Amino acid sequence: MTEGMVSEWFIADGDEVKQGELLYALETEKINLDVDADASGIVRHSIEPGVNLAPGDVVGYIYEPGETIPDALQAIPSRAGEGEVELTEAVTVSSDNAVAVATAPTGRLKSSPAARRLAGELGVDITVVAGTGPGGRIVEADVLLASTRIESVKASPLARRLAEQRGIDLSTVTGSGPGGRIVQADLDGLKQQSVPKVAATQATAGEVIPLKGMRKTIAQRMHQSLQESAQLSMDMLASMEEAVSMRSQLLKEWEGEARPTFTDFVVKAAAKALLVHPQMNSVFAPSGITLVESINIGIAVAVEEGLMVPVVRDADKLTLKDISIETARLASGARDGTLNLDDYAGGTFTLSALGMFGVDSFTPIINQPQSGILGINRIFDGLTWDQDKPVKTKQMNLSLTWDHRVIDGAPAAEFLATVVELLSEPYRLLV
Amino acid sequence: MNEFDLMVIGGGPGGYAAAIRASQLGLNVALAEREALGGTCLNWGCIPTKSLLHAAELLRNISHADQLGIRVGEVHFDLAAMVNESRSAANQLSQGVQHLMKKNKVTIFTGEAVIESPGLVRVGDEEILADNIIVATGASPRSLGNIQPDGNRIWGAREAMTPGFLPETLLIVGAGAIGVEFASFYATLGTKVTLLEVASQILPVEDAEIAELAMAAFRQQGIEILTSCSLENLKANEQVASASIGGESREFDAVILSVGVKANLSGSGIDKLGIELLDGFIEVDEVQRTNLPGIFAIGDVTGGPCLAHKATHEAMIAAEEIAGLKTHPVQKSRIPGCTYSHPQIASIGLKEADLKDRPYKVGRFPLYANGKAVVTRQTEGLVKTLFDADSGELLGAHLIGDGVTELIHGFALAIGHEATEASLMQTIFPHPTLSEAMHESVLNAFGRTLHL
Repeated sequence: MTEGMVSEWFIADGDEVKQGELLYALETEKINLDVDADASGIVRHSIEPGVNLAPGDVVGYIYEPGETIPDALQAIPSRAGEGEVELTEAVTVSSDNAVAVATAPTGRLKSSPAARRLAGELGVDITVVAGTGPGGRIVEADVLLASTRIESVKASPLARRLAEQRGIDLSTVTGSGPGGRIVQADLDGLKQQSVPKVAATQATAGEVIPLKGMRKTIAQRMHQSLQESAQLSMDMLASMEEAVSMRSQLLKEWEGEARPTFTDFVVKAAAKALLVHPQMNSVFAPSGITLVESINIGIAVAVEEGLMVPVVRDADKLTLKDISIETARLASGARDGTLNLDDYAGGTFTLSALGMFGVDSFTPIINQPQSGILGINRIFDGLTWDQDKPVKTKQMNLSLTWDHRVIDGAPAAEFLATVVELLSEPYRLLV
Repeated sequence: MNEFDLMVIGGGPGGYAAAIRASQLGLNVALAEREALGGTCLNWGCIPTKSLLHAAELLRNISHADQLGIRVGEVHFDLAAMVNESRSAANQLSQGVQHLMKKNKVTIFTGEAVIESPGLVRVGDEEILADNIIVATGASPRSLGNIQPDGNRIWGAREAMTPGFLPETLLIVGAGAIGVEFASFYATLGTKVTLLEVASQILPVEDAEIAELAMAAFRQQGIEILTSCSLENLKANEQVASASIGGESREFDAVILSVGVKANLSGSGIDKLGIELLDGFIEVDEVQRTNLPGIFAIGDVTGGPCLAHKATHEAMIAAEEIAGLKTHPVQKSRIPGCTYSHPQIASIGLKEADLKDRPYKVGRFPLYANGKAVVTRQTEGLVKTLFDADSGELLGAHLIGDGVTELIHGFALAIGHEATEASLMQTIFPHPTLSEAMHESVLNAFGRTLHL
């Protein structure tokens, strides 16, 4: 992501904002994001909606209550701490935010500093904590509650210490104590699990990031996916010329209702293609391959500590506009932890977008027990040929990983070709 | 024909507790008792002796009341009244158990129960069919060779707690918890007590350091203690008992035999059923099953430690197992033991001598450094804790001093929950109480004592 814009200010120039309240809508080529205020105070806009900005650009300021507010913004020094007026908070389009816009809303989690510090101390993944503070903000109590849930591995203090000393992962141990609590006896006879050692001559060991929470789940599920299925990937180039211009029109046409992203286009295209190629929407089991009737498309959303995959249910039955509204809800909900478990359940096929990082091809890993996952890459100015004449054309590579146990190469390519075709003729996504 | 889900044989702290728990879990339960509900513990053990020892303690405290500025003049006691009081406490509690049986709809059969076969029990003329049987027949004092208590000069525990006279000289054979408690009781009443133990220390199951402190305290009270000492030629006539102790012939007004217990197997048909035994006690698995289907055994009849609370705990396991619940086996290292002498001794877990082959840390905190003990002038005593040096596991706790039997449960909780030294150190103990000595002992093991 190299540029974005404030598409809408939710707090008018000169009005008061409370920390955690929604401040403005940020729009980029890939996704729309509502940004909340980091501090309370009086909001002054620096730019009008619709102006293209680079990461790091200042879009406005929040003044502390009582602080003298200059009439003209031009008089304000561009950097906080310089000049007569101390700037409490510069509202910026940060590069962090740019990533956030695409996938990882790192800096924009609604949480109090104390909650974040506590989360760090307790090893709680704050992105999965449900906030109960004002505006769904995560407060300390939420983190504490979450930490007790994370400690759902019940073990005695002694068992915890022994496990730590012996390098045993308690989540792999069956507890025999009251209420399934892991006690010392459960650890007896368990083999010490190998702890990776870094040879001093080769490299110096740095900080060890504990494997827990979301990181651990991802590690297990991804590894398991690769171990248990026969995955392979292929790329196919789609012309996005029509899609780009159609999106511009739709943005105007649906203004105030929906803001379609290219990911939304791919959701719709994939849903339609899955109807035609139901094998790609199936679950493999030794007893047979189950074709799944529902088409529920998961969208990988990067969050601070990893990855969440909220699901657009019955995507084949939704219009592009509905999909657009739904993905906006899912993306912001995944980021601030307000989604229900239902929002993550029941996916039958997954999309993963890395285009905003300039990626042109990758091999996504299937979200088990699904049979396919489609990687969305960068839209770039490619070449097509009009007779002998090169023509600049917006193009995008699509990277499909599928399970060879379920589908062979030819039908997989046919599925991918259908997606590519639909994206090249995007009006078909509207019908 | 009587039909029950469960037949419990024996109404002691194991048997009656099993009946209550099983009834709570919806089973139709019967219980057979040949004597009085409450068993040895309630009628002829823990309870009446605690009554006697309480009287002795009060007597001792009254004679020390001067220190607190209380002038009481000459103090007299009435042994017969003490015994009566202890009997009425026992009776009251036995009736309480009777009430509990009624409340929990447990059918009581009075008489000797005989297991004819798995599933069939006979009490007198009554035949009882039961899907499950719990044997909780307890244990009885062992005799010494062919010497039996005669109730006159040779006493067992029963005679010792219902004495017809106060002996001037008393020989107690066996310095386990029972022997030591009687020694303490009679010494307080002024009897010249000789306590004899074959093993090299009194209270052989206790930590050696604690036993040593106990021995010193008893000797100071005038109790003669003979360890590693054998007894020969014990005999008695109407007037006197005599024995050869270490080659020397001695005479005593009375002798108490407290040389351990044997399982109560005869009479109940257990010896004829083919139930497997181990060292004379019924062998059970971790959920109290015997080798015969549908027959469980709990408490003293399954072997040591012969403690009421162990029997009660095993009762829960057996009843819950029968009801199909998930149970957790008893860990013998987690059973606390108490001796209610003066000073008291309480302990749980491993002794220091058990730790020879592993790195450990030991904490000691003497009661003279505890504020509450100073106030009550009960400064004799020690709280000793043992930890695994690597894991911080609390391996054992050994306490001596007045009041420590009411403290040991704290360590039982800690060990039961597998607390480490960290969780114990973080626990806040109330001031001013004896329990602070527990905390200090833990701190001491890790070089953090405050009050030493």
